[in-house]
Amino acid sequence: MTGSRFRESTSHRSGVRFAELLKVQARLALREPYGPLGGIALPAVLLAVFGFIGRQVSGNVGDTGLTIIDLWTPTILVLAFLYIAVSLPNTLVRDREIGWLRRVSTTPLHPAMLLAAQLILDLVLAAAAVLIIILGGALVFGASLHVQILPFVISLLLSIVEIFALGLVLVALMPSQTVASAVSGVVVFVLMFLSGLWVQPAQVGDPLQTIMYYSPSGAAARALLDAVFNGSPSYPALLTMVVYTVMFGFIAIRYFRWE
Amino acid sequence: MMSTAEVVTVQHLVKGYGNVFVVNDISFSIREGEIFGIIGPNGAGKTTSVECISGLRAPDAGSISVCGLSPQKDRNKVRELVGVQLQESALPPRLKAGEAVRLFASFYSNPLDPDELLESLGIKRFENSVFKSLSGGQKQRLSIALALVGNPLLAILDELTTGLDPEARHETWSLIERMRDRGVTVILVTHFMDEAEKLCDRLALIDHGTVRALDTPEAIAAQAGGSRVRFIPSQPVDEQTLRAILGVNAIERKQRYVTVTGTGDLAPSVINALAALGVQVSDVEAQAGNLEDAFLKLTKDDASTVEGGVET
Repeated sequence: MTGSRFRESTSHRSGVRFAELLKVQARLALREPYGPLGGIALPAVLLAVFGFIGRQVSGNVGDTGLTIIDLWTPTILVLAFLYIAVSLPNTLVRDREIGWLRRVSTTPLHPAMLLAAQLILDLVLAAAAVLIIILGGALVFGASLHVQILPFVISLLLSIVEIFALGLVLVALMPSQTVASAVSGVVVFVLMFLSGLWVQPAQVGDPLQTIMYYSPSGAAARALLDAVFNGSPSYPALLTMVVYTVMFGFIAIRYFRWE
Repeated sequence: MMSTAEVVTVQHLVKGYGNVFVVNDISFSIREGEIFGIIGPNGAGKTTSVECISGLRAPDAGSISVCGLSPQKDRNKVRELVGVQLQESALPPRLKAGEAVRLFASFYSNPLDPDELLESLGIKRFENSVFKSLSGGQKQRLSIALALVGNPLLAILDELTTGLDPEARHETWSLIERMRDRGVTVILVTHFMDEAEKLCDRLALIDHGTVRALDTPEAIAAQAGGSRVRFIPSQPVDEQTLRAILGVNAIERKQRYVTVTGTGDLAPSVINALAALGVQVSDVEAQAGNLEDAFLKLTKDDASTVEGGVET
């Protein structure tokens, strides 16, 4: 009897398992839409706000040769990734806190699959945010894109990976959902500022400009800006993101707990 | 014979956290098809023991076999065979009852039909309710469904009825009995003695990380000296005569009443023995030993063991 239980092809089984898990996780995400709201709705609203400001105050901001919507589009992208990334601790820390991850680990499904499903959904969400923001910025508000595909894709992927890794650091270190949401709030606020939401690095002097350029979110915004509007990647920004990604990845893996 | 096959064998299990041994040399085996109870005070090592059986924790020493497999080395196979209900484990608040059962079914190679299971456990009528809106009794039904949906040979239920009202507890009991009737072997961790007495075929009483008693509930209750007979003898009987009667452990006198406590079927043996000496007894009041008394006795005194005879 026990023999026949294991005869079925395991790769097919795990495919079915994972599809079912993705479906359920997606439904749950829609019922608790921290990620979708923060990652799609908020950036869309900000895009509209900066788009309209850009129509009033046209022209050259801080001698960059770029308009307001040009400058803020990368910042809004980074902000979308930030909001999606901090929805990770919101669900995963809670799932750990209530014993759900532990419960799942008593079944043949490894709880890492839960994490994987959540990350895949969030990547889909990030991709949707990118489409909405880039298309919205260019078509609706006339941002002047000179996209070089390769630098753009590299900057985009690196930004997402770096910011998601930061989300996983929060998942690893936060003891409870309450603490996680308080800390995430502060982290998002600081990183929004550093990415240039209130004032762009191009508009401020040193040392603030340097701090912004070498912060996790500022480096991402700078790399995206250069890739989208200047047609060439900013190597210091890319390198900064690689360093942060490695650091965040190390901390997240080192301190991750299932229970 | 199928009925005597051992589903779980635990030998000299040791598990500690830091310098403290929570489980210190526990051995028992569980037969196919029985409801095996694990009782003991809080912190006795009950949960740690079953967590080692389910593979959630690795033992420090000793061995565990589940259907001939090691929960640590054969992780995935053992998880296919064992359904678990954890103490204090919740589901994501907005997961629906039916979704949870179907999701868990997808984790296993050979699951039960989720719809039939939802029907038979009475979950169908609330399958579209989200977890956070369920009542305590509904949550426990769902918990049982999740433990069963993988079609396990062994179900581990840890404090399943804690926090339930009496009606929900009785409903849960009948669900556990039906589980056994399906042929599932059940490990039931509980600190309710009435639950253990009613449901369990055999019990392990664990205290301070060791097994204090391992037998049927009746035998544990009786062996622990919980039986009590009170009577008025027609003429004075001396202490020695009473002590000589099989099973008598202690004697107490209050005015004309004599109360003896001891083990086994006490009343008939006392009455017969005294009758043989020509002593009649009147006003007889007999009380069978119950598990609760046995539990208190066995866990109160560290030195006591089941065979450890005299108690006062």
